[in-house]
Amino acid sequence: MNLGTLFAGPDMATMLMPEWILVLGIAALILVPNLGNGTFRLPIPGQSIRIPYLLGGTRFTLLQDPRIPAGIAIVTLSASLAAAVMSQITDGIFEMASACIEANGTITDCGVDRMWMLKVDTTARIFECIFLAACLLATLANMNRLQATPLKSIAARAYKDAVAEAKRQAKLYNNRRQVDFYVLLLMVALGMSVVAISANLFVLFIGLELASLATYVLVAFHKETKEGSEAGMKYFIVGSVSSAAGLYGLSMLYLWNGNLAIHSGVGLAASWEAMAASGTWDALPVLGLVFMLAAFGFKVSAVPFHFATPDAYDGASGPVAGVLSTASKAMGFLVLMRVLLSITLADDGGVWYCAIGAIAAITMTWGNIAALGSRNPKRMLAYSSVAHAGYILAAIAAIGAVGPGDAATLIAAAVIFHLAVMVSFKLGAFLVISLLEMEGRGHDLSDYHGLARREPIIAVSMFVFMLALAGVPPLSGFLSKLLMVNGIISATVGASSASTLAAATGSLSWVFWLAILIFMNSAVSVFYYLRIGVVMFFEESDRKMRMSRAPFTRIAIMLCLMGAVVFGFGPLANSLIDIVMAAAAGLF
Amino acid sequence: MEAFDLVNPLTLIVLLPLLASFALMFVAWMGRGKGLDDSIRTVNMGLAVLIFGFTTLLGYEGFSDTLAAAGGFEGLALNEYLYENCDDVLTNQCTLIGAIGVNWHVGIDALSFPMVWLTTLLIPIAMLVQWDAKNGAYFHSLILMMEGALLGVFVSLDLFVFYVFWELTLVPMFFLILLWGGDDRRYAAQKFFIYTFVASVLMLAGILIMYANNPVIQLGNLTGRSFDLELMAMMDNSTWLGGRGMQHFVFLLLLVGFATKMPSVPVHTWLPDAHVQAPTAGSMLLAGVMLKMGAYGFIRLSVALFPASVIEFTWLLVLLGMISLVYGAIVCLGQTNLKRMVAYSSVSHMGLIFLGVATLQPIGIAGAIFMMFAHGLISPLLFAVCGAFKHHYHTLEIGAMRGLARHSPWMAAQMMVGWMASLGLPLMAGFVAEVAIMIGFWLAFGWWVMLPALTLIITAAYYLWSMQRTIFEGGADGILPDSLHGEDPVDITWHENAGMLLLGVLTVLFGILPWFFGMFDMMSAYSTNLVTDVLAPMLNELGVMP
Repeated sequence: MNLGTLFAGPDMATMLMPEWILVLGIAALILVPNLGNGTFRLPIPGQSIRIPYLLGGTRFTLLQDPRIPAGIAIVTLSASLAAAVMSQITDGIFEMASACIEANGTITDCGVDRMWMLKVDTTARIFECIFLAACLLATLANMNRLQATPLKSIAARAYKDAVAEAKRQAKLYNNRRQVDFYVLLLMVALGMSVVAISANLFVLFIGLELASLATYVLVAFHKETKEGSEAGMKYFIVGSVSSAAGLYGLSMLYLWNGNLAIHSGVGLAASWEAMAASGTWDALPVLGLVFMLAAFGFKVSAVPFHFATPDAYDGASGPVAGVLSTASKAMGFLVLMRVLLSITLADDGGVWYCAIGAIAAITMTWGNIAALGSRNPKRMLAYSSVAHAGYILAAIAAIGAVGPGDAATLIAAAVIFHLAVMVSFKLGAFLVISLLEMEGRGHDLSDYHGLARREPIIAVSMFVFMLALAGVPPLSGFLSKLLMVNGIISATVGASSASTLAAATGSLSWVFWLAILIFMNSAVSVFYYLRIGVVMFFEESDRKMRMSRAPFTRIAIMLCLMGAVVFGFGPLANSLIDIVMAAAAGLF
Repeated sequence: MEAFDLVNPLTLIVLLPLLASFALMFVAWMGRGKGLDDSIRTVNMGLAVLIFGFTTLLGYEGFSDTLAAAGGFEGLALNEYLYENCDDVLTNQCTLIGAIGVNWHVGIDALSFPMVWLTTLLIPIAMLVQWDAKNGAYFHSLILMMEGALLGVFVSLDLFVFYVFWELTLVPMFFLILLWGGDDRRYAAQKFFIYTFVASVLMLAGILIMYANNPVIQLGNLTGRSFDLELMAMMDNSTWLGGRGMQHFVFLLLLVGFATKMPSVPVHTWLPDAHVQAPTAGSMLLAGVMLKMGAYGFIRLSVALFPASVIEFTWLLVLLGMISLVYGAIVCLGQTNLKRMVAYSSVSHMGLIFLGVATLQPIGIAGAIFMMFAHGLISPLLFAVCGAFKHHYHTLEIGAMRGLARHSPWMAAQMMVGWMASLGLPLMAGFVAEVAIMIGFWLAFGWWVMLPALTLIITAAYYLWSMQRTIFEGGADGILPDSLHGEDPVDITWHENAGMLLLGVLTVLFGILPWFFGMFDMMSAYSTNLVTDVLAPMLNELGVMP
């Protein structure tokens, strides 16, 4: 790609602005904390002229502050988020803007049929907003949380002994670990953004791997507990195997089609449509699709690829688990929808929707049943995340069953809406857990006893998050689930002119029963979500003290709370639905 | 947003308690330890009384105007509402989530006004009866929140908003039971929440099928469908939802939700637990208003929108109603726990509502609606008595206490009024409802009326028997329960007494003058309209002559 042309056009700069901001942020994160008083002595004999070149030497004390990397990451992510939002706003109102970029960097109108590498449109931008918002909230929450050195605590009081005190200061003012963490987090954001804007499966895969590799490390980054590195290892092994399978599937598609472009005259979508029209199915693309489904099934933690999920979420620190369950999952679904909806839905999804429907039914039921039995709230949330994946997969199966059209767009919009609002309540729940983790607890239900007495606002927020996850109105979790089920029901309940009850129920498509299954499953899930609320408000706690002050974590929790409430009912929900409807249209 | 027309009185009575309760709880938390409890309680009570006065004025003004204009309540035909905030939702006067066709559409008619009035009446009484609750600032604020949610259910004419409020009532009630309930409150609260949630998601499935078949053309509506109830009522019934078969299916889905809330056998099992464990004010509201949500929803949605299915499934309604009536009464006979007995008597009385509707006669349906109202006055009185009994005697066992009349004459008197009202003594509100339902039943099914009529004897039996054992007997000094540990028994406090007296007086008042405040007129007008406009044409169409 020609970097020159990327900057050349004014359009281009705005089109890829969020990504460039992320790249610059990563560079800044690496450079800024390393600035020091290093000087270069001019090799003039007898003279001692030193030219400061800032890198190396003794680092500036201010820049060794552990909060500096978080600050840089927050600025970067906010700027990137703002740029992503601004690119879809003209004169203060939401307006779709799109641009397509070819391999040589040429920007073309998306209406023209070319081989694009990147496609920036509302779909891409709304997903970027989801990713960036999740990373931003995780960064905010981590600011007061990430310890400078794991496994050891630093004395809170100053030592009298000067040498010991200097050592303590050096430990305190050390942000190496923070830098690593936030560089990785920004790389996750960058990789995900690349996935969002890619119009070619190869670019998509690169973004996917960039994000995935960074998340493996982030999971293992939780060195305060023994489980952290084990979880990271497990997540890495399962993840890399699934990536390999995905790559294998991808190469089969490449062998079959000769290129990996999604939308193009000779792209995968067109070839698939031609194949479907001819009525003869080639083994190569179908097998490739199966392999890719397996790979992305891991990303969205669908049963039977979900086994690493509870371990990874439990082992990772709260904010990282939050990112995994929201942004990473949203990325998985984006990829899944790109492959399933953009490529293979060309005439209908007949090849896969039964399989996806079955996986969905198993996934949601399994997730809920497993969550019922887990006493560790983090594992419980992980299994609930599996169950939510099941709901979304059911919606995708319904899209396959109805084929492209208004009904399909509605369901896809509901999926995007769900992924978007999940950032508020799911991440919020993990952040509350993170607040408890700061006092070394939070992994057992008994740690939540009496939370309402110690921290009423945090407990109420947690209860709201739980109700939102369960889908209790008027919270955003209810609206998103309602939209998905409504999409399924409106698509499957046609005007059947049956005159008896038996005939009417017989005429219902099986996808309709998926909707009923979603309802039944959310009813089951109420039990374990409510249990958290019950122990917080009902049980007595042995601790009376308030929890760590951690102002930024609390701010992040409050932001999540606001999101969980305002997107459920009223004008903001309305605007978000408008936007996701526009975004969903871009998927097909 | 032009949508939130705050001048509208109904919006006000729904949103004011909701917002005020959150604000008051926040104030209570901020000012903890500063002795704000009493003032917050008073503010809550003040707001509740204010809303009651406001609603009374609303009804007085609205219905007397209609009365004058049309010479009777027939003026308010079906699908016409008082204080409706937007006449035509399609003009986007009141969109809430326009993209999916959700509107803030509220209105009251002759069916919902009695329920709204009853709710606003019971809330201050419930607060009064449990004026001395622990952590009163939160307790009374939760009751106020409950009021907003309940009123929301009764006034909303948009099924999305209806469902939101329907579920929202669970949250304050969950906390009332969980934090102020009896010994087994944790189990009861969870069971209550999950049980009714499961039932209402099935109802939601039904609502969504209705929504999918309610096409509209509305600016900004991306799905092209609307949740508006008024628009659904205007659809051609013979082809709506594609045909009768799908209508039956949706009717049954809705029935699961409503029957659970009412509750009817076999989905009543949450009720005894929730009622027994709930605090006094909580069970008063549960029995007084929350059960009526089910009956209200049943008449408002199922009967008005699915007449063909009601006619098809009359047998099911009669069956459910009869089983609830008989089973509830027989279980009551065997109860040793006072509150549990009262709880099961609610199951029994709610069975009468199904019977009343199943008659498809104006008098029967009017009787069913009056039953909702009368039971809404009587059962809170019963639960207030039970609560006071528990509060002062620390037990609920029927056999443990004898000679209540000697030790607590006021409590005994209130108990007697309540029990008599509930067993259907003439001149009391329950009697009017039962007679109306029985007449309707006789008109529809002839001498089969003996079945429910004879069951009412069991009702009389268990009430009189329990009264005899508690109030009288026990010799000159009575027998005090062990749970009193030798302390002197005391009579009910002034606030309990005041609340019960109010309920007792209203029960007698509506027993003698059922048309007081236009109540029975409204109900009979509504049911006459319902039968003549909806049910009778359908009976003709189906060839089933009444």
